[in-house]
Amino acid sequence: MPQDTTPAIARRTLLAGSALLGMASPFHVARAAGRTRYITANNNPYDILDPHQVFDIGRIAIRLNMYDALVRWVDNPAKLDMWLAEKVDISADGLVYTFTLHPNVKFHDGSALTATDVVWSMERILAIKKGAYGLFSDVVKPGSTKALDATHVQFTLTKPFAVFMAVLSELWVVNSKVVKANEKNGDWGAEWLTRNEAGSGGYRLKRFDPAIGFQAERFPGHFKPFGPGAIDDADFRVSMETATRVLGMIKGEFQTTDGYMPAEQVERMKASGNVWFKEAESIRTFYFIMNHSKTPMNDVNLRRALCCMFDYDGFNNNILGGTVVRNPGIIPNPMWGAPKDLKGYSYDIDKAKWYLSQVKEKLRPLQIGAMAGYPQSEQGAQMLQAGAAKAGLEIKVVAEPYTTIAPKLDDPDRAHDLVPLWRSAYFADPHNWTGYLFNSKNFKAGNASFYKNARVDELTEQALVVTDQEKRRPLYEEVSRILVDEAAGLFVNNTKFYGPYAKSVKSVRFCPIGDTQDIRWIEMNA
Amino acid sequence: MRLIALALRRCLWMPPTLLGLTLIVFSVSHIIPADPARVLAGENAPIEQVEALRHRYGLDLPLPQQFLRYVSDVVHGSLGTSLYTQRPVIDDLLERLPATFELALYAIFLAILLGLPLGVVSALKRNSWLDHAVRLVTITGLAMAAFWLAILLQLLFSMEWNLTPVQGRIDGWGPDPITGFYTVDTLIRGDFPMFFSALRYLFLPMITLAIPATATIARFTRAGVLNVMNSNFVFYQAAMGLPRRVVIWKYILRSALIGTLTQIGLVFGNLLAGAVVVETVFSWPGLGTFAYNSILQSDYNAIMGFTLFTGSVFIGVNLLVDIAQAVLDPRGR
Repeated sequence: MPQDTTPAIARRTLLAGSALLGMASPFHVARAAGRTRYITANNNPYDILDPHQVFDIGRIAIRLNMYDALVRWVDNPAKLDMWLAEKVDISADGLVYTFTLHPNVKFHDGSALTATDVVWSMERILAIKKGAYGLFSDVVKPGSTKALDATHVQFTLTKPFAVFMAVLSELWVVNSKVVKANEKNGDWGAEWLTRNEAGSGGYRLKRFDPAIGFQAERFPGHFKPFGPGAIDDADFRVSMETATRVLGMIKGEFQTTDGYMPAEQVERMKASGNVWFKEAESIRTFYFIMNHSKTPMNDVNLRRALCCMFDYDGFNNNILGGTVVRNPGIIPNPMWGAPKDLKGYSYDIDKAKWYLSQVKEKLRPLQIGAMAGYPQSEQGAQMLQAGAAKAGLEIKVVAEPYTTIAPKLDDPDRAHDLVPLWRSAYFADPHNWTGYLFNSKNFKAGNASFYKNARVDELTEQALVVTDQEKRRPLYEEVSRILVDEAAGLFVNNTKFYGPYAKSVKSVRFCPIGDTQDIRWIEMNA
Repeated sequence: MRLIALALRRCLWMPPTLLGLTLIVFSVSHIIPADPARVLAGENAPIEQVEALRHRYGLDLPLPQQFLRYVSDVVHGSLGTSLYTQRPVIDDLLERLPATFELALYAIFLAILLGLPLGVVSALKRNSWLDHAVRLVTITGLAMAAFWLAILLQLLFSMEWNLTPVQGRIDGWGPDPITGFYTVDTLIRGDFPMFFSALRYLFLPMITLAIPATATIARFTRAGVLNVMNSNFVFYQAAMGLPRRVVIWKYILRSALIGTLTQIGLVFGNLLAGAVVVETVFSWPGLGTFAYNSILQSDYNAIMGFTLFTGSVFIGVNLLVDIAQAVLDPRGR
C-alpha cells in the first residue's frame, strides 16, 4: 500500500484553508445541470442595453445576440446574409428598397415581428439621434418608411446609396408595442430600454447588472435553427484589466475574451495549454491620420517623406510580433476594392530625406497625438518619431485619451498633425474606409484628415450610386491608389484576430463584423 | 449635549466643503478639452448629431451656467443623468455602493484586527527583533503598489494554489439584493454554499486593501503607545499595582487610540473612495470601477456624482471619528 508522505500539518492547513474559502470550481453553484454555459470577459462595460443608443464594437454582443436586423454579416470575408428579410426588390433608380419579411419571426414575448416594428425601429433611430443615426440620417427621412402589409416594408431614399443594404445590418428591430408601452414623456422608451430588452434575437435577457454585465439564455422560439452544440446560457461580463482577463482564461473562469490582445499575452495563454486560438485576418486597419489643413502637412512631399520614415517591418513583426499584416492602403487586404497589386511605401530614410528636400513650405516640428492607454498607438508614434529623427525632422509625441483626441479631429486648427489609430469595421464595404474617411463632404463627420481631392470625391460618390459590386470595385481600387500616391494617410497594417477560447469550446464562426460575439454560431461540449 | 453641538458644528461645515469640492472637480473635469458628445455620437456621426447630443445634455451652455445648473440639480436632490448609462447617477452609485462598502468594511475590520495588536506588541518590544520585523513588514505593506500586489496575490492564491477565483464577486449572479452585501444576504437566505462563495471572492481584494491599511494602523498604534507609555499616569497605575495587562490594554491603548482612530477614519474613507485600482483588477462591481469607466468616457455627471458622493461619505466618516474621539478624550469636547 503506497504510503502518504504528505505532512499531516500541511494537509490539515490546506483542508482548513479550502473549507474557509469554500474551494470549488468557479461558477459551479449557479450552473444548471446539462446546460452549456459560455462566459465572455469583455474590456468594455455593458452599461446600456438599448440597441439604438449605442453603436460601437465594445457592446455589439447586446445587439447581435438579443436583436435581429433585416440582414446580417457572416463569415470572413464578410458577406451579407438575408436575415429577417427573405428577399429584397430594389428599384432601377436605386431609391426604393422593398423587403419581404420572414413570416414566422417572434419576439421574446411571443408576439409576431411585423413590418410595423421595422418602420417604428427606423423612426426611433431617426428621432433619438443616437447610435447608428449617422448611417441613415442622410438618406432616410422621418416618415418615409412604410409598412405595406405585415410582411412587406419599403424604404424610400432621398438619393441613391449603394451601401444601404450594408448599413441596414444596424437597423435592429425592437418590439414596438412593448417599447411604446414603456414610453415616458415621449422618450421613445429610451429610459426603459437601457435596462430591458425587446428583441427577437437568438438569445433573450435573463439578468442585467450594468456593473457586471448581462446574462442571456437561448431563445427556443427563434426562427433560425441552432447548431447541435449551441450554447444554452451565456454570460457577458466586464473585466477591464487585461492581466485579469488573461489569468481568467488560463484558469478557465472565462470561455473567451477579446481577440486583439498584445502579442505577449497571446503567447502566455498559448503556453498554458488551456486555451486555443482562432486566427483570422480581420478588417481593422491601423494608420496615421494626417492633418492636411495645416502647413507644411498640406505638402505632398512632406507626407511622402513621413511615409518613408516609418519602419513597417520593425513595427509589424518585431514590436507586434507578427500579429498584424502589412496593409499598404486604407482598405483592408481581404476586402473587395483593395487593389491586390498596390505598392505602399517602405522604410527608406534616404528617400525620406529626398522628399523632405522637395518640401516647399518651411518645416516645423510636427506633433503626433497618440492615444493614451493604447500601447500600439503610442509605440507607433514613437517609431515614426525615431525614423523622423534619423531623417532630420523633429516630431513631438503627446499621449492623450481618445475623449480628448476625438473632438480635436473635428477642428482643423486644434487637430494634431498626425494621429495613429484604427479604423474598425461597422459594415463590410470599402465606403467605410474611403468615402467616410476621405470624401471632403465628410469633414467633421469621419474625414478627420481634412483631405480634399476632386477625383476621390467624384469616385466615392459615383460608387454610392452604382449598386453592382463589380462596377464599384474598380472605383474603390482607383481611390485606394490615389490615397497612397498622395500619401493621404500613413497606412501601416491590418489586424489579425487571435480569439482565445477554452478547450470546452468546439467551434466558432469568425466574422470581422463583431468578431465572434455572435454566439449563435459557437458550439460547446456539454 | 456637547457631543450634539460638536456634530451640528461639523454638519454645518458640510455644505461649503461640498460646494468647494464640486467647484474643483467641475473645473478640472471641464477644463480638459474632452467632448463626451463627440465620443458618444461615434466616429461617423454627422456634426448635426453631435450638436443635438451636446444640446440635449446642456454641454453647449457656458461653463458658469453649466455649473449653476448642476449645483441647482444637486440642491434638488439630483446628481444628473449619466451620459453613458442614461440613468440617474444617484441610481448607478447606490447600485454599486454595497459592493464597495462590503469590501471596505471587511478590509478595515481585518486591518484593525491585525494592525492594533501588531502596533501594541511592536511598541512594547521596542527595538527587539519583533519590533524590527513588524516595522519592516509595515513599511513594505505601505510601499507596495496596489496594482502589483493584486496581481501577485492572484498569481499565488488563484493560479498557484487554486484557492480563490481570479476575479468577480460571487459564483454566478449572486442573490437578489436585500442589503446588497452578498455575505449578509446569503446568510439571511440560509444559502451557505453561496455565502462561502462570496467569502472566497472577497478574500483577495480584501487582503489587497487590508495590507496597506494594516500597516498604517500598526504604525500609528505603535507611535501612540510609545508616546503614552512614558506618561505619568501610566507610571502611577503601575505603581498602584495594577496588572500590566490591564495597564496596557485598558489605559495605554485607550489613550494611544486617539491618534489611531483618526487614521482609521481616513483609511476607511480612502477604501471607499480610492479602491479604483483594486476593483478594476478584480473586476469588483463597485464604485471604483464605475469611477474608472466614467473617467475613461469623460462622463461629467458621473465623475461629479462619484466625487460628491464619496466626498459626503468621507465627511460623514470623519464626523463619526470626531465623535468617537470626543468620547475617548473629553478634552476634545
